[in-house]
Amino acid sequence: MKRTSLWRNGFFGVAALLFAVVMAVSAGTAIAAKENVVKIGNIIPLSGPSASVGVQNQYACDLATEMINNAGGIKSLGGAKLVNIYVDSKSDPTVGVSSAEQLINNDKVNILSGCWNSAVTYPTTQVAEKYGIPFIVPVSVRNTITERGFKYIFRIAAKDAWWARDQFKFLDDMQKSRNVSLKTIAFVYENGDWGVGMAEQWKPLAAQYGYKIVLDEPYPSTSSDLTPVALKIKKANPDVLLLTSNASDAILLNNTMAEMKVKVKAIVGTGGGHADPMFRKNCGKNAEYMFDVVEWETDLGKAGIPEVNAEFKKRHGYDLAGESVDAFASVFVIADALERAASLDPKKIRDALAKTKLCSGPGMIVSYDCVEFDETGQNKNAGIVMVQYRMIGDSLERVSVWPESAARKGFKTVFPMP
Amino acid sequence: MTRDTLDRTLKILAVLTVFTLPLWVTNPSYLQILILLFWYAYLTTSWNLVGGWAGVLPLGHSAYIGIGAYTSTILAVNYGISPWFGMIAGGVIAAIVGVIIGVPTLKLRGAYFALSTMAFGEGLRVFVENTDRLGSCVLNGPRGICIPLSNSFWNFQFMDKAPYYYIILIMLAIALFITWHMSRIRIGYYLNAGGEEPEAAQALGVNVAKYKVIAMAISCFMTALAGTFYAQLALYFYPKAILGLDLSFEIAFIALIGGRGTLAGPVLGALILRPVSEFSRIYLSSVLPGLHLVIYGLILILVMIFQPRGIQEPLTRFYKWFLDKVTVSRG
Repeated sequence: MKRTSLWRNGFFGVAALLFAVVMAVSAGTAIAAKENVVKIGNIIPLSGPSASVGVQNQYACDLATEMINNAGGIKSLGGAKLVNIYVDSKSDPTVGVSSAEQLINNDKVNILSGCWNSAVTYPTTQVAEKYGIPFIVPVSVRNTITERGFKYIFRIAAKDAWWARDQFKFLDDMQKSRNVSLKTIAFVYENGDWGVGMAEQWKPLAAQYGYKIVLDEPYPSTSSDLTPVALKIKKANPDVLLLTSNASDAILLNNTMAEMKVKVKAIVGTGGGHADPMFRKNCGKNAEYMFDVVEWETDLGKAGIPEVNAEFKKRHGYDLAGESVDAFASVFVIADALERAASLDPKKIRDALAKTKLCSGPGMIVSYDCVEFDETGQNKNAGIVMVQYRMIGDSLERVSVWPESAARKGFKTVFPMP
Repeated sequence: MTRDTLDRTLKILAVLTVFTLPLWVTNPSYLQILILLFWYAYLTTSWNLVGGWAGVLPLGHSAYIGIGAYTSTILAVNYGISPWFGMIAGGVIAAIVGVIIGVPTLKLRGAYFALSTMAFGEGLRVFVENTDRLGSCVLNGPRGICIPLSNSFWNFQFMDKAPYYYIILIMLAIALFITWHMSRIRIGYYLNAGGEEPEAAQALGVNVAKYKVIAMAISCFMTALAGTFYAQLALYFYPKAILGLDLSFEIAFIALIGGRGTLAGPVLGALILRPVSEFSRIYLSSVLPGLHLVIYGLILILVMIFQPRGIQEPLTRFYKWFLDKVTVSRG
């Protein structure tokens, strides 16, 4: 008896509240004034663990947008100005997905961009693909993002697999240009997701380039003593040593190898721990001549870098980093495509993006020559820079050395390591 | 107009409103909010079968949402089976798991049942987060699963939000009907008796544990369907979003605040708490992430102090008063 009456009465409450919702909805859908703008929706982490890189990303986009708008906006669209709408992803994939829906349906953005974290970019790009809105991915590196046959997704940065690819390309180039023969190779990597993943990519490449793998050694990154690993390397005596390490283990392994006088023709790191400023501080001379891969360095010998970097530093007090440069360049890629599309039709913007070949202009401060997308939407020229650690005065510095077109002025690769 | 006619008219109006809503609310974002609102109402109604009628407090229901989402998605991605069938498969698996969990734990009283369901829910989340592959099935650990795009009814994917709206609305209507029907047949009376006075009910020859397990199985089955629905709506899910304590607590909070063990409670709870959650998420989450749960907690304390049967009670009273007032004043 009591229950049925609750059922009956409760339903009215439902209806009343729904009416309220409807009223609120209809009040909220006032039509916004039409302006000549192109809206770019940026979904990036502005709070949470990745906030600092997200904010750098935002600053870089703002700077690029300002440069484009000050130069007259998109001329083929009657001088339309670019407007960035930033949404905080909180590094949460679910928030990324719902933000993309929100930006497409409510804010009616013309283009989407983001999301820094691969984990967020991966599902969020699918929303853009579903609605057919072009999505520019400046930095997320997970391979699969551009490997799903999507038509509206374009990535500026190199994929994960290309780090490994460029490590081998560099070695190959060195063998040829320096007439050094490299026959044997050793893999030493931290045993987590990242290290194991890198090693999986190294193996087929080693076979392809004809190296003999003499050591394949995963180690726990938290070890307090890496003497056994260093001993194994010494015993295997490889020509090339490839490393994937986090910060503390990179320092420990490097100094242990130096103590044991392990001599290798080339030691190549994979960023991460080897790019950490602590590594430079704690290894000093022990790490001299070692190589490391990175997507970008401020010392690259390319036109425009000093000016843009100086402006950025003036505003925010720190240098541009590889990831912010990708974000910076992505805005110019968007502007270039819009200029050629001469339309806000998402399909036309998409087609123009697919035909991108951006080689010059203020946005091209990247380490390679041109931005061009392959049929999967991946920037096929996205490259990696090889840096070599060199002692300059008393301090160990990262000097860009390869590709040679982007090397720091006055420096040449020292190969093999002395 | 007599009191009964007014009552009936209002009810018909309410049903009409709910069913024609997508005709006026064309903005997909608002529709999405309504879909999630009904989704929570549906989940809480399913939870209510155990948490409300059977007199225990399950705090691990997100586990069954996860089972539903993962089962239908794996079947669709790996074997090309339509999520509509996957949905049923997920429901059956969830019901079996529910029975396995329920048989030993439903005999426990008070906090013990709540704790053991919580442990199971968390255990499942940790397991999934650390498992990339299960045999030939890809779980992707903490990275979650993306469902490939292919808009068709068969694939349970739609370009518009309206079909999702109607699906969840019908699911909610069925869930409410099941609850209403159960409250009128033997199992409902047994559960109610067993929930309030298990010793007395047992003394009268009611096999309380058996009916609790049956209720658990039905509840888990229905909860798993919601998991598939969510997966197909978002086309992406990962363990943190659909497994784990946050979601389990949210369901329990909605039921407790709305009115546990009543038909309208879960729906009213969702109607009132979901907007609170949405707004706190939009405006306050950068200051204090997870604040909506804190707000829920505060509301829960207030409701428990002043309206221990949930907010459905004062609302019902208000509605009755309104009916009386209108019909009296008219004559």
